[in-house]
Amino acid sequence: MKANNLKKRKYYTVAVFALFRLAALLTAAALAGIVLFLIIKGAGSISWDFLSQSPADSMTKGGIFPAIIGTFYLTAGAMLVALPLGLATAVYLSEYARPGRINSIIRLSVANLAGVPSVIFGLFGLAFFVTKLGLGISILSGSLTLALIIMPTIISASEEALKQIPLSYREASYALGASHWQTVFNVVLPAALPGIITGSVLSLARAAGETAPIMYTAAVFYTLHLPSSLFDPVMALPYHIYKLATVGTHEALVPIRYGSCLVLIGLVLGMSLAAIIIRTKIRRNKQW
Amino acid sequence: MITHSNVWRFFTKPLMKTRLAPRRGLNGLAGKDIGDRQSRIIFTVLGFTALTALLLIVLFLFLEGTALFIHPAEDGSRVGLGDFILGSFWYPGYTPPEFGILPLMAASLSVTVLSACLSIPLGMGTALYLSSVAGPRVREWGKPVIELLAAMPSVVLGLVGMMVIAPFMQEWWDVPSGLNMLNASVMLALMAIPTIASIADDALESVPRDLLEASYALGATPLQTLMRTRLPCALSGVGAGIILGLTRAMGETMVVLMCAGGAAQLSFSPLDAVRPMTSTIAAEMGETAVGSSHYSALFAIGITLFLMTFAFNLLASFIAGRYSQKGYQAA
Amino acid sequence: MVNDPNAVEVKTLNFFYGEKQALKNINLDIKRNEITALIGPSGCGKSTFLRLLNRMNDLIAGVRLEGKILLNGMDIYAPEAESADIRRRVGMVFQKPNPFPKSIFNNVAYGPMLHGIKNKHGLNRIVESSLRAAALWEEVKDDLHKSALSLSGGQQQRLCLARALAMEPEVLLMDEPTSALDPISTSKIEELVMDLKNSYTVIIVTHNMQQAARISDKTCFFYMGELIESGATDQIFTLPQQRQTENYITGRFG
Repeated sequence: MKANNLKKRKYYTVAVFALFRLAALLTAAALAGIVLFLIIKGAGSISWDFLSQSPADSMTKGGIFPAIIGTFYLTAGAMLVALPLGLATAVYLSEYARPGRINSIIRLSVANLAGVPSVIFGLFGLAFFVTKLGLGISILSGSLTLALIIMPTIISASEEALKQIPLSYREASYALGASHWQTVFNVVLPAALPGIITGSVLSLARAAGETAPIMYTAAVFYTLHLPSSLFDPVMALPYHIYKLATVGTHEALVPIRYGSCLVLIGLVLGMSLAAIIIRTKIRRNKQW
Repeated sequence: MITHSNVWRFFTKPLMKTRLAPRRGLNGLAGKDIGDRQSRIIFTVLGFTALTALLLIVLFLFLEGTALFIHPAEDGSRVGLGDFILGSFWYPGYTPPEFGILPLMAASLSVTVLSACLSIPLGMGTALYLSSVAGPRVREWGKPVIELLAAMPSVVLGLVGMMVIAPFMQEWWDVPSGLNMLNASVMLALMAIPTIASIADDALESVPRDLLEASYALGATPLQTLMRTRLPCALSGVGAGIILGLTRAMGETMVVLMCAGGAAQLSFSPLDAVRPMTSTIAAEMGETAVGSSHYSALFAIGITLFLMTFAFNLLASFIAGRYSQKGYQAA
Repeated sequence: MVNDPNAVEVKTLNFFYGEKQALKNINLDIKRNEITALIGPSGCGKSTFLRLLNRMNDLIAGVRLEGKILLNGMDIYAPEAESADIRRRVGMVFQKPNPFPKSIFNNVAYGPMLHGIKNKHGLNRIVESSLRAAALWEEVKDDLHKSALSLSGGQQQRLCLARALAMEPEVLLMDEPTSALDPISTSKIEELVMDLKNSYTVIIVTHNMQQAARISDKTCFFYMGELIESGATDQIFTLPQQRQTENYITGRFG
């Protein structure tokens, strides 16, 4: 066989790979540009007062403390609900369910739940939690709505972590006379725990950045007092940014907008980064 | 660790008394007070949470949404399914109100298609670069960075579209407003790129190494190996990634709410303002009374959106399923 | 060049994975139209050596090579040598059957198509002759457009052989080609390899000493990255010159 087109093939490779490189660079540049832009624009307004004070003078002065604390309540609440339910589903799928129709229906519903647009979760939260169950526009309604959103991610991350526990661990436990449940509880879950937690933190970061699901279930633009119970509405960072962006064109709003944005991406990307770093370490140190 | 086992205790304690058969097994281990049978029952019940949630969502969307077609509106007029889907006017505030969602559906589809023109080449290019061109160092960093970008809150991208892209477009093309289909599409593409790149890269990475070696051993260049072996083998996974990325763009709310301009008109120019389904729901839910026909109409939009994304998701899992069944099994 | 009886000449070859030296000072001539078997315990460097002959180790980062490998007189690690070109001239069959998830026809036609052969007629001819040479034609001639993955393991390996033969390689490398196969498939492959030596130069890595004794003309014994002994197969198995070789073939280690 002759190598008549070797030169041509070599040039093709170089040219096409350069195109791929360009696409990756463009993507990286666009997203790095956005982050840098927000840092430059927003860094000036970040101060201790900005983080610890309430807004004042119809949002043109003061800080965003209530929005930060609101986002914290909402995400913590979502986690408290979604982690046990999601983990239990994952344990069921990986340790108890036999392959079959029911198993695949559950998997399919998890996959589809993950693909449902967040605004539809908002609609459901409004119709079910806020109206039907009478929870009102409150931390509870918002947390439950966010919990539904992050549950599929928790389920799949946990299932992946459980699947990676080698069979030999389980066999060792069975060989000592442990029952199925004892094996799951004492051997499989502890070994999978780091993977489960990092996966959950990643999903939590996503919940902290969501706006549409809390717009009509939990968030308000301004509250006079910090929330005192689960049934109070709260301010929340993403909703606050949306409102600041659309509420008016007052000069003084601009730095507060960017400052809030910076706090939000710091929170979301910081949490994700921490989880990703830990996960990378776990994967690298894994002995099996 | 402590909280974790506490949670389990919480779930399992009440069942201690209902134990049916004497427990066999190792003494002294945590969790010994619960039998296999009980744990199986608990987990089977909890395992249905996701399915229940999905069914509840469907139920309530349909309960609230179909009311639009069943009950007469406040002024006694009725809305037919045909008027709803094919009507080209969305005037919920008029008397009688008009609930035609054709312009909203057209807007959703056109921003999705326009953003796909950007997100597919860039997302695929990034995935192909990471899997087949980049060195191990870049790979090690590139993948987490993509994942990080997938977590970027949409409201932040919306703000950037409003504050940066919009003034730029206004000046550049001399249009009255920079909030339009193109602006929203660009920002949506930024949301879809990480999804597409990450899933496509996973699929490309999972192609067995011995197939790539077989190709190289026949004298293929890296590009030929990529195009004739790696990409074809990963095609279903890549396809599923693209569909999921586009579905994410279509279901995205904040970016279109903030950047698309919000005019409910049938329009095919990228520089016109449009109002996709998601932003209609988000923008108008605040001004409707619970139970009004407008409220039902917004839920009916929700049903439409749900069915569209559901179809796309089914398509993606179908394609991905073909991939896992027919994929190469090294054995 | 054609008069030179050596298809491959290896001169003072040293090879490193990072800091670790995998092959030490290898000198070896491989004669045309002979079957040369590489034997030795696991990790002795025989597979590494094989993969150097078609530059497959280029795909691994952080490797370094000293010395020369000549393929029909041409230095395959010279700066102007292209790895794709070398691999086109040197065929390889791997340890596990690795057909592409494509049709039987497209598996065999993959190589020729890479190198610009597009006309249907030419491809049909190459596919048929390669499948005949791999003794697979009669079994698959009616199913050429079925997936290669529908074949049995032994058939898959013969397909991989046909795929390599379609390139009419100057040298055919086989890396433990029967280690994943049943005894019947193994003997089929062995018969094929013995037929092939009329038209090809074959270098085969094997764990199975009986196999080496059965099919090869020359045998090379590798141990700890060194080529301990090489020579006619009969001589190696009956009158080894080195203590280590003797220990290995009599089963004292390995």
